[in-house]
Amino acid sequence: MNRSLDTLGTIVRLELQQRIRSTAWIVLVSVVFVLVGLVTALLWASLTAFGADVRDSAGIYSTIIFFVLLVGTLVTPAISGAAINGDREAGTLATTQVTLATTSQIVLGKFLAAWTVALTFLLASLPALLFTLIAGGVRGDTLAASLGVLVLELGVVAAVGVGLSGLIGRPLFSVVTTYLVVAALSIGTLIAFTLGGLAFQTQQTQTYISIDYSDGGEFDPETGLPVVIECLEPQVSTYSVPRFDRVWGILAANPYIVLADAAPTTFDSNGFPQDLFGQIALGVRSAQLPIESEVVYDECGAALAGDPSLGYPYETPEQIFDRTVPSWFVGLLIHVVLAAAALWGAIARTRTPAGALPTGSRVA
Amino acid sequence: MTSTAAFAPAIEVEGVARSFGDVHAVRDASFTVQPGSVTALIGPNGSGKTTLLLMLATLLRPDAGTIRIAGHDPVADPRAVRQAMGWMPDVLGSWGTVTVRRALEVTGRLYELTPEQARARASALIELVGLQELADRPSRVLSRGQKQRLSLARALVHEPRVLLLDEPASGLDPAARVELRELVRRLAGDGVAVLVSSHVLAELDEMADAAVYLDRGATASAERVERSRAQVRDWRVRALDPAALSAALADLGIAGGASDHLGTLIPVAGEAEAAAVLARLVGAGVAIVDFGPAVGDLEHTFLDLARGAADPAAAPAPAATEGGER
Repeated sequence: MNRSLDTLGTIVRLELQQRIRSTAWIVLVSVVFVLVGLVTALLWASLTAFGADVRDSAGIYSTIIFFVLLVGTLVTPAISGAAINGDREAGTLATTQVTLATTSQIVLGKFLAAWTVALTFLLASLPALLFTLIAGGVRGDTLAASLGVLVLELGVVAAVGVGLSGLIGRPLFSVVTTYLVVAALSIGTLIAFTLGGLAFQTQQTQTYISIDYSDGGEFDPETGLPVVIECLEPQVSTYSVPRFDRVWGILAANPYIVLADAAPTTFDSNGFPQDLFGQIALGVRSAQLPIESEVVYDECGAALAGDPSLGYPYETPEQIFDRTVPSWFVGLLIHVVLAAAALWGAIARTRTPAGALPTGSRVA
Repeated sequence: MTSTAAFAPAIEVEGVARSFGDVHAVRDASFTVQPGSVTALIGPNGSGKTTLLLMLATLLRPDAGTIRIAGHDPVADPRAVRQAMGWMPDVLGSWGTVTVRRALEVTGRLYELTPEQARARASALIELVGLQELADRPSRVLSRGQKQRLSLARALVHEPRVLLLDEPASGLDPAARVELRELVRRLAGDGVAVLVSSHVLAELDEMADAAVYLDRGATASAERVERSRAQVRDWRVRALDPAALSAALADLGIAGGASDHLGTLIPVAGEAEAAAVLARLVGAGVAIVDFGPAVGDLEHTFLDLARGAADPAAAPAPAATEGGER
């Protein structure tokens, strides 16, 4: 056990030494550091100009986390997507395979190294994150959940990249395929959700009972309503409404939504989310709300009862959160299973002595 | 090394075959290599040498046949084989950004040496292959010949008892070739079984004790090799006075072949006849300065077998498997 961890560590160090010590990498990480710093400074300046209170640093914190996820998922495929087949082309895979290192150690070592490299982006944005933490307003549980999911999601991209580099012969194709997987999860789920919702349309009947403002009576100066309230005939109309409540599950596989949904959000006194996590999660939570086939807006009846705005049923985001279910663990589970399957496939495909080889490839 | 291992062959190959799709890279290979000996693996391009070595190096699974390396089966127990076997590939891969010393240390660590052992072994190997001046430079700055040396050093990290060298001399300058030959002979002297593949036969002639001929994926049988060795072949003879030599040859009834600045080629069957011809030429008063086989032993056999294989009467040739080396 100890010896096998030792070998794994040797492979991880070797991989890091090869990939992280390049000038290009240092430049890239520095660029991320500067960009995150700029984003933080600008957000801070603009939010302070709006006269917001210190709790807004929760908003800045969540923005930085999403930014790191964006940069991480954009760069990690390039690092990990050629880990195995790139070594095969360079002629360094077989010389490692004839040592006592097993295929599992080699593949897992490459995965851990790629994950570590992806996390250097998080490291580069650490000063900015610390700043928001010191400024206050970020809840402990939000911090733990968002960092945890971010680290895991970067690991998933690293694993998919390393896995595909073992399953696909040509480095260029495996890198591109890794990007396509990331794009399918990040953007493809949004497209599928939108198109799916539009495909399942349903008829909704809306009944509107409004107040008669046209009889020329006196108006109450305080409420702006007629002193004598009379109701008009109910107006009934029928609309086609997309059934997003049937396809919201697709969004669960989106890494941004997993991150947003997993991080507990802070609501202001009006029930609105204070950070980007809550605002994005609100999307997937609202989509869960069932579509009713009949809706009645009885403005007049509400006015007679005292407040016409009660005629329009309204829920605050906080109320929506409270009556819908979180889905992030389902999405995270899907991602982890995908990552594990990719790594397992790569190990099976790279194992020596090799039986069938992918067409056009050679073992060494 | 135990006494039983010393007497058993270090490499045993029996009826091994491997194909890639419809390309039959190796069709039927059988041979043994004894500990302490250097065996040349000879064959034209595409004859399956590299594929055969990949199977011996635990990287490829044979479709048929059995392989034993130091008594272990590479398919059933690759770990035991890897522990005993060092492999120098024909493809020169190196971790470009890693220094020569570090590359050897990492390889040592992957062979489960302790960090101290790996460091000591790396230093010793750098000296052995003569890379001292480049030891702390990244390996991407190495020339082809230098990479070749690094690759050889890497194959020796765990002091293997079986050494597989795939084209080890290509890219080496003459001095480095001599060093390689001496190193290989020294390793064999220490009891290592060495299998060297090459198609540069002159250099193998000087280092190999035995040879395995591989043609279109099949090893030539011992009888065929023996037959071709006994055949009439050209010897080169050079005298101080070429005119006196040709006159003497005419007197002896030997048909002198082509003449050039290196001498005259004469057909001779076997070494006994060669000795007799030389004695008669010297007896005839010709001042001989050079007398020897025109081509090396291995080359002669190789060319003869290749001719034999091309001749349908000598060997019922199968469908050509050109380009099946991989």
